[in-house]
Amino acid sequence: MKKSNGEKWWGPYLWLLPSILLISIFVVFPILIVFRLSFSEISKAGVVGGFVGFKNYIDAVNLPAFATVMKNTFWWVISVVGLSTLLGFIIAMVMNQKFRGRKIARSILIFPWATSLVIQASVWNYIIKYEYGSLNSVLLNLGIIKEAVNWRSSYQIEFIWECAVGIFVTIPFVTFCILSGLQSIDESLYESARVDGAGFWSRLFHITLPLVRPSLSVSTVLNIIYVFNSFPIIYTMTKGAPANKTDTMITYLYMLNFYDRKKGPANALSVIGFLILCLCSGIYMITVMRKEEEA
Amino acid sequence: MNPNSTVQKAGKRYFVLLILGLFLACLIMSLPVYTFTVGVYTKKSSNTFVGNEKYKEALAEVEQTADEYRSQGLAVEISETVTERTNSKGETTSLVAFTISQTLKKNVWAFLPSSLPSAWVLRILTAGMAAALILAAAGCRGSFSTEIKTLDPGLRRMRGLSCLFLLLDLILVPVFILLNNYLFWRRHSLFQGDLLTDGKEEWYRVLDGFLFQGKMGEDAADALKNLSAEHSPLLWVLLFCFLLALAGAAGLRFGALQKPFLRGALYLFVIVICVITLYPYYVMLITAFRSNAEALDMYFLHLLPTKWVWQNLSDIVQRGVPQFLANSFMVAGGATLLAMLCGIPAAFAMARMNFKGKKFFLGFVIMSQMFSPVVLLIGISQLMTTLNLNDTLWGLIFVNAAFNQAFAIWLLRGTFVAISPEMEQAARIDGCSTMGSLIRILLPMAAPGIVTTLIFVFINAWNEYTISTVLITTASKKPITVGITQFSSFNMIEWQYLFAASLLATIPVVILFMFIEKHLTSGLTSGGVKG
Repeated sequence: MKKSNGEKWWGPYLWLLPSILLISIFVVFPILIVFRLSFSEISKAGVVGGFVGFKNYIDAVNLPAFATVMKNTFWWVISVVGLSTLLGFIIAMVMNQKFRGRKIARSILIFPWATSLVIQASVWNYIIKYEYGSLNSVLLNLGIIKEAVNWRSSYQIEFIWECAVGIFVTIPFVTFCILSGLQSIDESLYESARVDGAGFWSRLFHITLPLVRPSLSVSTVLNIIYVFNSFPIIYTMTKGAPANKTDTMITYLYMLNFYDRKKGPANALSVIGFLILCLCSGIYMITVMRKEEEA
Repeated sequence: MNPNSTVQKAGKRYFVLLILGLFLACLIMSLPVYTFTVGVYTKKSSNTFVGNEKYKEALAEVEQTADEYRSQGLAVEISETVTERTNSKGETTSLVAFTISQTLKKNVWAFLPSSLPSAWVLRILTAGMAAALILAAAGCRGSFSTEIKTLDPGLRRMRGLSCLFLLLDLILVPVFILLNNYLFWRRHSLFQGDLLTDGKEEWYRVLDGFLFQGKMGEDAADALKNLSAEHSPLLWVLLFCFLLALAGAAGLRFGALQKPFLRGALYLFVIVICVITLYPYYVMLITAFRSNAEALDMYFLHLLPTKWVWQNLSDIVQRGVPQFLANSFMVAGGATLLAMLCGIPAAFAMARMNFKGKKFFLGFVIMSQMFSPVVLLIGISQLMTTLNLNDTLWGLIFVNAAFNQAFAIWLLRGTFVAISPEMEQAARIDGCSTMGSLIRILLPMAAPGIVTTLIFVFINAWNEYTISTVLITTASKKPITVGITQFSSFNMIEWQYLFAASLLATIPVVILFMFIEKHLTSGLTSGGVKG
């Protein structure tokens, strides 16, 4: 397969080599390790024993918190991805208008994206504190509430707050993805639709949505992956307390492995999470490939 | 039909709307919407039981006093509070306190001459209303039948200004209400409870003047002990009236209402979004410069710290924050360098060469992006132990570089594909090697895309938290995201230090991100996958 200008057939692979090496060692290898460990017996100190089949998986599913954690993970992903996509879409529609100060508004909007999640979570943790939190202080001083409100009176409410912070930090990503899709839409399409007497809603459903669908699906699937993997918000705000009731899968497997030292089930959970992500990425790949064929 | 008469009709309609709105606003401001209750007289009975002689004696005395007040034409009411107590013999007795309270009704105008801070808002509000009316009237003089487009610029400006003044009023009404709320129960209760002492005398003097026309003098503090203030929700209706008036003014100014209103709603939405987004940063900023006592104070009244505690910054410097920042910089810088060194050749091959398995490699790269290091946490920590990279910055550099490879290749490939290969081909004909054409021709042309990728990878690595918590155990090797958690131990969180350090960690990346925002978004969704 010799190239006309004298390059060896393995030329391109040489160019890819560093990248392949890097990904193989630090991404693919850990996957293999996790797979192997999930089928092995592991002591609390981390000494790896023999093959035990699906014992770790059975142990993982039988953990008392397993059902709660799975339920939480489901709601966490659904609520954060769903609401941030909806809100991000609305904000992107607004930001796509021409108005004075648009550049400043866009720069401000990007702040949460650029900030480390630990820092965001710490700030919100402070804001909703009962005794001295900033939210109580501000509302009291404005006279909107007359007595300090306990914003985190139960773990359900705390979980809702965690989801809210998740939504807050995810919105910029969605907004900017959709915005890039919106900006590529030809203005003349709207003009001709307006001439035909199409109202706001019919323009939205017949022009905007179909045309931003590729960006929307890319951002949604990426989002599912990020949100699923999100660790710092829950870890900083509640650490899964009380009794893993606010844990998602990721924080739970961290706790299992590094605090409770139940390494076997932790690895099994890792693999389960990995497989869920594989499913999402599969869908994502199909979307991307289809988009590429369209382009 | 004469077009002029339509214009005239519309113009008149808007003018009537404007006046109607202003009239309603005035009307609401004249209604007694504020109710103040002040305890003017208190009588405590001696130890007694409700219903016995001493009680009746005291009640009679109180009623007599109340009648005296009533004869002066004041609306007063008697209320009693009973405190139960047990004496040394074990008998339960009650202490009854009678309070004669006076109810004062005030309308909004009553605030106008007072020296309360909210009076200033009201003064501007009233002036704004008057100005709006006068300007609108002046702007409409004899020009009802003129088309908006052909209107004299001077008249048009007058109408526009009236619109502006009404908008100002629309903003001032909630300010007035909130300010009054704040003054009347929050600040007052703080003064009462001695939580706030600055300006206490002044406050009582002002209130005395406002409520009792200064008659109470020295006794004001006593008389105002049981002050409570309520405002009726009617005041919020005022906002609607101004909206009505604004609609009229905007109609006069623009001829049609829809556009300016949508515009206003747009700006409002954007402002609300920006305020919500900036709120955590504002909290972070002010808390970073507050003293510990202030950071833990719910009754903190001020928008900014009363005293900027720069000491916090020097404190965190002593507790290792510069070291954390340096570590972060090394990790992020190293990871970026490595990711680019591996990513540029790969992206170049993907963009310019044809080979078997190209699609497979693309799939491989995209798949690798799917896994944030978190789900593989255990595997990575195991791998690092094997490689002897546990608890080293190198380990972090490698992991960050590897997990950002996908984005780097993706963004770079998009950039390279968008650049026509003709220049390189020309250089190659002139005898330049592939490597030479990449470095001399393509890279300079792709500079914006490369900088975007560079910064994006840098920020991702800078903000990374989870892997660092697991891999790094030595305090002096922690990057900033992990380092700041030392300020929040389980039972005590030093918020001011936590946020001062967070501020230092956030500012540089936010600024960097703002630079690449424009390129990044187009690269993320379209540029990368096209081609």
